[in-house]
Amino acid sequence: MTDAMIEFRDVTKRYGPLLANDHLSLTIRRGELMTLLGPSGCGKTTALRCLTGYVRPDEGRVFIDGADVTDLPTHQRELGMVFQNFALFPHMTVQDNVGFPLMIRNLSRAERDARVAQALRLVRLEGYAAHYPRQLSGGQQQRVGLARALVYRPKVLLLDEPLSNLDAKLREEMRFEIKEVVTRLGITALYVTHDQGEALALSDRVAIMNRGRLEQVGTPEEIYEHPQSRFVAEFIGLSNFLEGSVLAVDGETMRVGIGELGVTVPALPNVGAGQRVLLFLRPSEVELLRPGDPGGTNVFEARVEKTTYLGDTIDYRLVFGQDLPLRVQTDAQRRFAPGAEVRIRLPRIRCWAMTSG
Amino acid sequence: MRLLRAYLRGLWDGKLLLGYTLLASLSLLILAPFLMIALRSVGKGWFGRLWLPPELTLEWYRWAVEVGNIPEVMKNTLIIGVIAVAVSTVIGIFAGWAFGRRQMPGKEVLMALILLPRMIPPITYALGVAKIFYTLDLVDTYLGVALAHVSVCAPYAILVLSATFEGLDERVLEAAGVCGANTLKRFFYVVLPLIMPGILASMIFSFTHSYNEFTLTLLTYGPHTVTLPIRTYLAVGDGYWEITSAMAVIMVLPSLAILAMIQRRAEPEKLVGGFKGV
Amino acid sequence: MTRFWRAHSSNLTTLLLLFPALAGFFGLFFYPMLLTLILSFRPEGQTAGWTLQNYTRFLRDPDGQWVILLTFLLALGSTALSVLLSVPLALILREKVRGHRFYRLMILVPLVIPGLIGALGLLLFFGTRGWFNLFLMQFIPFIRRPVAVNYTIHGLMFFYVWLYFPYTCVTTLSALESLDRSLEEAGEVSGANRWQVLRHIVLPLITPGILAGSVLTFMAAFGAFSVPLIAGGNYRPLAVEIYKQIAVPIPARWSAASAIAVVMGALQVVFLALYMRLVRRAGGAAAGGAGAGGVR
Repeated sequence: MTDAMIEFRDVTKRYGPLLANDHLSLTIRRGELMTLLGPSGCGKTTALRCLTGYVRPDEGRVFIDGADVTDLPTHQRELGMVFQNFALFPHMTVQDNVGFPLMIRNLSRAERDARVAQALRLVRLEGYAAHYPRQLSGGQQQRVGLARALVYRPKVLLLDEPLSNLDAKLREEMRFEIKEVVTRLGITALYVTHDQGEALALSDRVAIMNRGRLEQVGTPEEIYEHPQSRFVAEFIGLSNFLEGSVLAVDGETMRVGIGELGVTVPALPNVGAGQRVLLFLRPSEVELLRPGDPGGTNVFEARVEKTTYLGDTIDYRLVFGQDLPLRVQTDAQRRFAPGAEVRIRLPRIRCWAMTSG
Repeated sequence: MRLLRAYLRGLWDGKLLLGYTLLASLSLLILAPFLMIALRSVGKGWFGRLWLPPELTLEWYRWAVEVGNIPEVMKNTLIIGVIAVAVSTVIGIFAGWAFGRRQMPGKEVLMALILLPRMIPPITYALGVAKIFYTLDLVDTYLGVALAHVSVCAPYAILVLSATFEGLDERVLEAAGVCGANTLKRFFYVVLPLIMPGILASMIFSFTHSYNEFTLTLLTYGPHTVTLPIRTYLAVGDGYWEITSAMAVIMVLPSLAILAMIQRRAEPEKLVGGFKGV
Repeated sequence: MTRFWRAHSSNLTTLLLLFPALAGFFGLFFYPMLLTLILSFRPEGQTAGWTLQNYTRFLRDPDGQWVILLTFLLALGSTALSVLLSVPLALILREKVRGHRFYRLMILVPLVIPGLIGALGLLLFFGTRGWFNLFLMQFIPFIRRPVAVNYTIHGLMFFYVWLYFPYTCVTTLSALESLDRSLEEAGEVSGANRWQVLRHIVLPLITPGILAGSVLTFMAAFGAFSVPLIAGGNYRPLAVEIYKQIAVPIPARWSAASAIAVVMGALQVVFLALYMRLVRRAGGAAAGGAGAGGVR
């Protein structure tokens, strides 16, 4: 037994000239909730379908629990799956829907009933067994879908954008419900979504895909705070990017020249003076100071160009240095009018340098 | 039951190979009869165990035209068809306007009633139609046979034109009114172009039905009103397969043209309800 | 008077618009049906008097009973065979196999071609000199003589299937194509193999479509006239029997024909009503009880 529950090994899938999966290698550990995150058309659905067996990869292998399942038909893969459009069988009651995987596995009536009841209790749908899917609300239908996916205790739970057909409020609620159920059962789960908020809230680890390739794999914190590419940084939230070149490396830190300004940031391994880097900084992490406040490292003069009131925060568009734009979000307590001269501090540990564009 | 299961299961599992075999043999089975009609109509001395006629000839067409009196028959078919189309279209436009654009109590019931003939085997009311036409001396007249055809064509015309009128956007008419068009101008410049496709479709439907109509014609025709289907049927009775085949080819070619026409425009599902002459 | 006219002008206009349609309906359908009904109770060849004799003679006659039985046999048999043919065919055509457009067109051919021509072609194809028997005799061992298809009851049933299966096939195909593919995916992920998916998910869900299409096939087969007339030989279903009553004897037996026509019409209406109920029930089950009434 290895620690890996699901493994994509160099999986490549082409649709004509389009490369849906480009040498995708990804390991999902036992008991982990991994999210496959990316914009539509990034290949995350293709990857999922390679796992379910609905798509056969052109190259590479797929493993579940150490066994090569690349050539195994879907129904023998012991998977549970929750669908974007619920995919409940409209001609069956909730009871029969959830009991379907058990019926296929020839379980006795009594045991089937017991396990269906248990699964329905898990998703808090006791008392709905005799209803038909169309009598239920969207959230309830998706919980039935979850119960059906879990009822026979599959090795792996797959969730294909399970919340995107629900309204915003319900989505938030279901997000935690799914997280809780998955955690309680300790099941390995692969969650596919294009919603970064869902990905950050739910996952143990997030894998970000773009154009058929993996951009970065890591915990939500790593992904959010230390994106390794501009794509990841932009996809996962608001960001400022500052282009510059390394002036000097000094142990843990290095100085990066942006125009005439010098910014001190954490050093990158294998990066020396003269190399071009991209600095990345979240708008909420820039500190706004009053003109009279004391200076220091990474403190610069700036001018407010535009402000937008967002309720709990205020969004500022600033310029500093040689017309460098910077976006800043702060709480609504301190306010500056457009045209005001301010000072900004770029916290050293929050400035993240990366070499790739 | 078990056999049935095995059959379905085999088809489901065997996938493509079996599928293609089924599709290919079905297409063959559908096309071969027509091919045989066509070949027999131009073949000479095609006896014994021969796959193809040894000699080609147009003799049977000459026979069909001369003995079968095809020009006359064609003329009858067209005249009857035109009358039937005219009457059905007029009925269809009026009723379509009423069903599609006006509110009235009991609309659904009336609609169902008018479409009832489609649910009853034609032979059952053809019998009554024939009996009435005998007393009115309408049997063996163009008008009589055409009117009999109307009983089949009109429901389709009403159906098609009701849908057409229903699809007419009230706002377009209003817009035309706002632009200063009077009623007459509105009709000719706005309404007519919009409903023309529907009227054309209804006319094609009606004509095809009249052209192919067999049951009602058989009970109301006479020596002066023989139509193509009747002529072909009579030829079957005479037992000359070659001449019959020639007539069948002459009769079916326009149908094929129409099939080619509608295949490009209409969806097949819509035809199921609509397209059958029998 | 003007007031009345104003209040009812809209309805009157509507009636006026419907007048040609209603005139056609009553003159060419309702009155003929009524006349047929009246005639069926008249003694043969007379214009007055009432009798049930036309019915009793037909219904008591073993030949008459056989005609009814035969009609149902042909209609139900060809409907059942059409379903058996259509379901796998639709399953294949759904997959957009190479050339599926061509095959779809092929299925429509029997729909558009007059039954008369179809029957003629089939008679030629299955005749003793037709390609069917040529093929059997040349490629299948032990078959030395032509196999009789034309003018046999199984041959006639096959002709019916050939002519009327497209109704079932096209509706089945459209039912299949409107089926949500992710349902099948859900079934397979749940552990069902392709056969189980077909049996537990696909078939129950397309049954209403199949039944709706098979009603059309049944109606066409039940009312078929031209085809059994030229290809039926000694097998005469109701429609042909009606025609024979006025075409063969001199003078024509209008009353006998009318009685059979009434029997045929009544049988079709009754059977259709039963069938529709079945369809509705199947549709209700497949739709999950549609609405609040769906709790079992």
